[in-house]
Amino acid sequence: MSRSIMDLIRQRTVLLDGAMGTELMARGLPQGKFPEEWNIERPDVVQEIHRNYFLAGSDMVSTNSFGASRIKLAHHGLEGRTAELNGTAARLAREVAPPGKFVAGSIGPTGKLLKPLGEFTEEEFESVFAEQAGALADGAVDVLLIETQYDLREALSALRGARRAASSLPVFVTMTFSANPRGYFTSMGDTVARCLKELEKEGARAVGANCTLNSEQMTGLVKAMRQETILPLIAQANAGQPVVGSDGRVGYSQGLEDYVRFVPELIRAGANIVGGCCGTDPAFIKAMAESISRRTA
Amino acid sequence: MNKEEHYLQMREAIVEGDGAGAGRLAGEAVKAGLDLLEVIEKGYVPGIQRVGELWEQGEYFLPELISSAEAMKAAMAVLEPELQRSRLQARTGGKVVIGTIEGDIHDIGKNLVSSMLQAGGFEVFDLGADVKLERFIEKAEAVGADFICLSALLTTTMVNQKRLVGLLKERNLRNRYKVLVGGAPASQKWADEAGADGYAENAVAAVKLAKSLAPKR
Repeated sequence: MSRSIMDLIRQRTVLLDGAMGTELMARGLPQGKFPEEWNIERPDVVQEIHRNYFLAGSDMVSTNSFGASRIKLAHHGLEGRTAELNGTAARLAREVAPPGKFVAGSIGPTGKLLKPLGEFTEEEFESVFAEQAGALADGAVDVLLIETQYDLREALSALRGARRAASSLPVFVTMTFSANPRGYFTSMGDTVARCLKELEKEGARAVGANCTLNSEQMTGLVKAMRQETILPLIAQANAGQPVVGSDGRVGYSQGLEDYVRFVPELIRAGANIVGGCCGTDPAFIKAMAESISRRTA
Repeated sequence: MNKEEHYLQMREAIVEGDGAGAGRLAGEAVKAGLDLLEVIEKGYVPGIQRVGELWEQGEYFLPELISSAEAMKAAMAVLEPELQRSRLQARTGGKVVIGTIEGDIHDIGKNLVSSMLQAGGFEVFDLGADVKLERFIEKAEAVGADFICLSALLTTTMVNQKRLVGLLKERNLRNRYKVLVGGAPASQKWADEAGADGYAENAVAAVKLAKSLAPKR
């Protein structure tokens, strides 16, 4: 039997991919176009991006489905195509994944709040996420990756939904934290300790953080997370803050070299699974792959 | 209950995000014939200021900010009709037209800024999310706004904030409004680049910024 992603995590540092949205934009995704629509309209482009990440050294890439929950799709009148857009996202990545490499089904937040602050119940969120997770599983992903969560209650709803819809797949969850004078918190005020404990209890097979922080700041957060769990830890930092060049193109403030400089420290701090987030591209992943292999050589 | 105790309870109701309490206390103030402008200034405003401090200290988060802003709204909903009846007006920081920029459907942060501005004494016209550039200008012109506040969560949509500033310039309307930008990818540097008048990192800072730029009346 072939090696599973969980086996690989036990053996060595696992490398994920970097940003998808900016890669699509660089290939002409028009303003206002929902990125997931290109799974159907421009599958060649989506596959080229996945292929570039695999070539750069990613062990696992994330599907182009971050925003493809029924709730978000409804803003674009696409909610009737939830299964199609997610299933296709999974198949596109699967088709270009070399043997021994993996595909994570990406599930982002709904962008809406739970009661009493918003209109939705946890049961509603759970079934929305279950639908998305089920379609990704049908497209043969290896893992479900619930990403960029800012509300622990939503993350737990997603985790329950994913496990219900795809009971045979491992589910990973990353939350997004920022630092305030008292430590690291989600926007809703959930602490690192509480998030990791509850996610573990609900059956997450790996947990961690992505977005918001740059790679230097992320090392501090990984240290804090390592004290709270024995689960494999995921760390996907942003390349700093977006900056707009004189040509109107959007770049990011933390350059490649500075970003990658902190990779060994992330791993020392306890990260088992690393990858990029906003502002990263295949060049970042390639440099990260080199940094990781130097470390283990 | 004397007036000072009454004010203290109002402050607490806002800090605790107790909308029912804030509304009830406002009703009592009306019945007791208190000076309602003073009620706002000495009862409720210190509450929302305290909420801002607690947020800055890392004690309060998004849920607390939202409940406190809602409590403030509940109080104002009782007080405003009474003020109008006696032809008085609560001190306003100015008129704000706010929305998430064209192409971007994310509205959690924008809603929070909108609520906090309202709680901070601004008259807010919230256009929602994915708002066409044209619509911001139409509304600002129609209500005689002082501020146009633009939100964007995505790197892909933040560029539309700059386009709005360009559109204002084209129409010779740029000097009529203060344009403020915010959202995860925004920064002071971006505000400068986009030709905006200011940037705030969060809802509490946004209220401070708007107050510092508010027209003197």
